[in-house]
Amino acid sequence: MIKIGIMSFAHLHAEAYIQNIRSIPGVEWIGFVDPDNGRVKQFSEQYRTWGTSDFDEFFAKKPDGVVICSENNNHLSMVETAIGAGVKNICCEKPLATTLEDAEKIVSLAESKKINLMTAFPMRFSAPIVAVKDQLDRGVYGRIYCFRSENEGQMPSLHRKWFVDKKLAGGGALQDHLVHLTDLFRWITKSEVDSVYAQSSQCFHRGEVDVETAGMAMLHFKNDCFATIDCSWSRPDYYPTWGGLNFEVVTDRGAVQVDAFRQNLTVYRHDIQNQVWHYWGSDSNQGMIEEFVASIREERPACITATDGLRAVEVVQAAYESAASGKTVKL
Amino acid sequence: MKVGIVGTGSMGSTHAMGWAETDAEIVGFCAESVPEAEPLAKKYHTKVFEKLDQLLSEADIIDICTPTYLHPTQVKQAAKAGKQIICEKPLALDWQSGLEMLRACEEAGVRLLVAQVVRFFPEYAAAKELVDSGQIGKPGTIHLRRCSYRPKKPSNNWFLDEQKSGGILMDLAIHDFDYARWVAGDVRTVYTQKVSSLDPSSPIDFGLTILTHENGTLTHVTCGWAYPPPNFQTGFDINCERGAVHFDSEETMPIHNLIQTDKDAPDVALPGSPLAESPYTSEIKEFYRAICYGDEVRVTGTDGVKAVQIACAARESARTGEPVQIKPLEGVLK
Repeated sequence: MIKIGIMSFAHLHAEAYIQNIRSIPGVEWIGFVDPDNGRVKQFSEQYRTWGTSDFDEFFAKKPDGVVICSENNNHLSMVETAIGAGVKNICCEKPLATTLEDAEKIVSLAESKKINLMTAFPMRFSAPIVAVKDQLDRGVYGRIYCFRSENEGQMPSLHRKWFVDKKLAGGGALQDHLVHLTDLFRWITKSEVDSVYAQSSQCFHRGEVDVETAGMAMLHFKNDCFATIDCSWSRPDYYPTWGGLNFEVVTDRGAVQVDAFRQNLTVYRHDIQNQVWHYWGSDSNQGMIEEFVASIREERPACITATDGLRAVEVVQAAYESAASGKTVKL
Repeated sequence: MKVGIVGTGSMGSTHAMGWAETDAEIVGFCAESVPEAEPLAKKYHTKVFEKLDQLLSEADIIDICTPTYLHPTQVKQAAKAGKQIICEKPLALDWQSGLEMLRACEEAGVRLLVAQVVRFFPEYAAAKELVDSGQIGKPGTIHLRRCSYRPKKPSNNWFLDEQKSGGILMDLAIHDFDYARWVAGDVRTVYTQKVSSLDPSSPIDFGLTILTHENGTLTHVTCGWAYPPPNFQTGFDINCERGAVHFDSEETMPIHNLIQTDKDAPDVALPGSPLAESPYTSEIKEFYRAICYGDEVRVTGTDGVKAVQIACAARESARTGEPVQIKPLEGVLK
């Protein structure tokens, strides 16, 4: 049996991952640790599981792997704690860190201590995206020129307050939603970003939060591909779902439009006098957690590494710099 | 009144359909190749002239539907002859020429009506009205998308010659640059990257632009000649403080034609859903009323120049890789 636990339920994805972990045969869910007693009580009751705020008690259960779902700025200290307790496999929520310094520390820790450290980029396991990547890799769609993309969402403070806290989250929309598409485009093009231009504003939920709520970025890659990303929290609170992730890849043979969250039922509800989208597509988180487990079982690095997380952090930091200066930032 | 149409390509013939819906008389077309224009002239029971001078002497209104690089000379010539002028978009290939054209028309005391037709498409006009009503607050982010295939031409394909058309950012994206200004006001900064037909290995054109408006709104403009014919997709999202408007031409198609056909796609793709009146006809009618009765129009000559200015900045940004600041024109405009 492979023993897996979660460190911190601060990030709402923990609520998905616990179910992903529990559903994998041959995996023992050991429970979770969270320094916040309120969250320990809430989530141990909600998911009928063992939880503790005592890290020693948690590590006494000898996890083979942990999934870190703390606030963004606590990732480094959580990684240090886990490694200090002898954990060899870590899956860390994105963004890997809120500063370049923290992200670099995580990467060098993972390298020097030979830790299998996976950055949680679940979109690499989205069935529609995997299908398109497969065709692109086989050359069916031709040579890639550029991407137009959107990862727009609702204001995340609807779900967790700390997402809009500059210190805990490391920023707003740019920090929250730039990394998924950045990582996908690095993965698809097999190239690295060499320049970033970005603009941001506080036009949505103005006055409610200190961080930017809208952002647009243009990335340029070493192989000459380029990509725009809209990472704004522009979806209204009553939008039929949390948001979405879609992109158009333009090639010398035309274009392919991909909407990762299009597989929905439209449900009309009298109680809320509104429609909601009920997702019926495959669960990307499940694929990601299964890859994490497989990497532990096969004693190999996971297919996404800490360095992948660091590369995305570099782009986010460059985007903040560009938004502040109005200039293109070279990496 | 008597109208003369200059140019008999896809725009010349589209405008002719609009004029046929008014009480104006089409007194003739002006075309480089008279034999090629004969069928169109015959359809409207009129003549073809080889020289603009000849058409000018017959008409009260001149409707210029020629390749962009010819606009400045033809507009100035028509102004000098005291004709009321309608000019296809883009007004010119550079905003300085656009200003000269405005001045020439002012001095001659004639109107210069710029055919930024997107303002006449009901879906675009309705969204603008909705935003202006204040119901959903100020726009925060805007997405404007417009993509079809490379225009074809039996010969002299001026669309693909950047010297003549300005390329995709000038010829196609100008629709959305103008619309962005209409909805969110003047633009401060332009940043663009593109794939160009200048690269001989590229069979497509595609451009992505981020506009920052004076009021802080961010607009993302997608333009492409990249899809297989006959596809032409347009769409927008206007995300505002208290709501959002979404439009997608594919999602709103009331008819899906799955009939087998051997017919080729048209040379130049035009967007459009089935409507009682074509937006091109609505445009011609509004311009005609303006000329006859001095009515206001929804697009001014200055709007035409400012759209060109944004497109010029986008071309420059694509070339240099740096953001380009827009100079306010208020000082130079009357």
